[in-house]
Amino acid sequence: MGPTVDQRWDLVDRITKKTVEVGAYKPTLGDAIANVTINPWTGIPFAIAVLYGFWTFFSGFAGLFTDGFFVRVFGTHWIPWIGDKLAGLPDWAFTILVGDRAAFAADFVGDISFAAGGILTTGLFLPIAIVLWAVIALFLALAILEDTGYLPRLAVLIDSVMHKIGLHGFAIVPTLVSLGCNVPGVTACRPLETRKQRFMMIVLLGVFIPCGAQIGMMEELVPELIGWVFLTLAIGYLGFGWILNKVWPGESPEILMDVPPYRAPVWSNILRKTWNRTRHFLLIAVPFFLLGCAIVMVLYASGAMDALAGGLEGFLVTLFGVPAEATPSLVVGFLRKDLAIGLLPIGAMTTYQVFKSVVLLTIYFPCLATFAMLLRELNWKEILYALAFLVVTILVFGGILNLIGMAGGW
Amino acid sequence: MNNRSTSGSIFVAVMGIAALVFGILEFVGGEWGPLTVEAGTFTAWRAVILICAGLIYLSSVSNFLDIRQLGKSVVASIMIWIVAAMDIWAMITASIPSGAEEAGEPWFASGTEFLAAYGPPYMPAMCLLLPSLVILYFVGRRRRTAS
Repeated sequence: MGPTVDQRWDLVDRITKKTVEVGAYKPTLGDAIANVTINPWTGIPFAIAVLYGFWTFFSGFAGLFTDGFFVRVFGTHWIPWIGDKLAGLPDWAFTILVGDRAAFAADFVGDISFAAGGILTTGLFLPIAIVLWAVIALFLALAILEDTGYLPRLAVLIDSVMHKIGLHGFAIVPTLVSLGCNVPGVTACRPLETRKQRFMMIVLLGVFIPCGAQIGMMEELVPELIGWVFLTLAIGYLGFGWILNKVWPGESPEILMDVPPYRAPVWSNILRKTWNRTRHFLLIAVPFFLLGCAIVMVLYASGAMDALAGGLEGFLVTLFGVPAEATPSLVVGFLRKDLAIGLLPIGAMTTYQVFKSVVLLTIYFPCLATFAMLLRELNWKEILYALAFLVVTILVFGGILNLIGMAGGW
Repeated sequence: MNNRSTSGSIFVAVMGIAALVFGILEFVGGEWGPLTVEAGTFTAWRAVILICAGLIYLSSVSNFLDIRQLGKSVVASIMIWIVAAMDIWAMITASIPSGAEEAGEPWFASGTEFLAAYGPPYMPAMCLLLPSLVILYFVGRRRRTAS
């Protein structure tokens, strides 16, 4: 026969007396800093400083490699060299592999890296010269935020705002992860409590959160507009989230989250995490980049792109108020949003039209890799609703932006 | 435990006022001796951060060595370190490539160009960086007193 209940309690008392020290709790400096960073009055300014650091580190890192070296590697060396070596190919093969012959003419004015468009030129330039460095910088900064223990505190700070749209502060984690790549962002939605919250979060990520590839392209082509683009996306994220919370059935319960103490990051862990995520990104995204370029060039070479752009021109120009020259890039956006940003005829557009087009391309159909994740995480009914929501969002958001532009005379 | 420290209170008061003034200078923009503010995408953000850091410093003047007050000063200092570190990071990234785009030109900046990138004028947060490190002395002092 085992010990009685009283004997067990006696044992507990004896162990407690030997192991537990009782006294007034004295907060440490770490506790005090932790409290200061979750108090809204001091925590929000600190969050602004952290996000400023996050963003400027990203811009500097991506700028150093992209503008400092790789734009020149491709624009001055690789693309002219490959164009020269493969000049003898038949037109259809040259178009798909290298790109538009006009971009290689001596009198061509413009950026050959974007204008060429082939698999071996623009298809390699975009992921290697622009996107890779943006993604490494984002993943590195994100890993530092995670491992210092700041991310859960950001979740606590933003909790009350997220409750207004039926989510809670934890939603900041998949949102920030998605800024690197939407694929792990969708996976990061799994800890959310209910099916409603997971559906809402996945849809909002797919529509309103640009991935590292798109951010890299924006940083390279329209750096002065990024702030406005992000502000517009944040308004859309919260506004459409609020609507989705009202119309989509289900519960939005509270979540209990562990907030760990601040810790100095272990650099070997940070580097390993960054490498694993970057490798995952390269394995998934680069083949889709090349495939996207190949499909676009096949459409161009066969004349299908002109027919498609011509057919949709009236609709896109009327609804979104973009010039006719921008319609091919908006059509390409259905295949590759990041590539489409690079194809926008920025010189032929007003600043507001460029801003509007970049926002529209960001909220377009999710990339194929993200769509594959949606198929895994959502059932067919939810996917259909997600697609319907996407179409409605593009039309409504694009229409509203166009109306604002018309009202402002932009 | 006595949480008062005259030297500590004077230090955070001076830092608070300096951060406020430098934050306002970020908003105004211009060049003053070794100090410069280049208008850019993040100028307003830097100004907001420095002004908030100044206000947080000033709110921790009384009972400076109380752990909560010291925590606020440390957080204000970290905010300045973040902005200054990013200013230094911008200098580093600008100092390495040559900026040339034509074939045959050098890829990396020359030694002179590299060193010139680190010369004055400096951004306001960089001027606050060294004085803000004094907070580490007060953190150590409190730790010694507490133990």
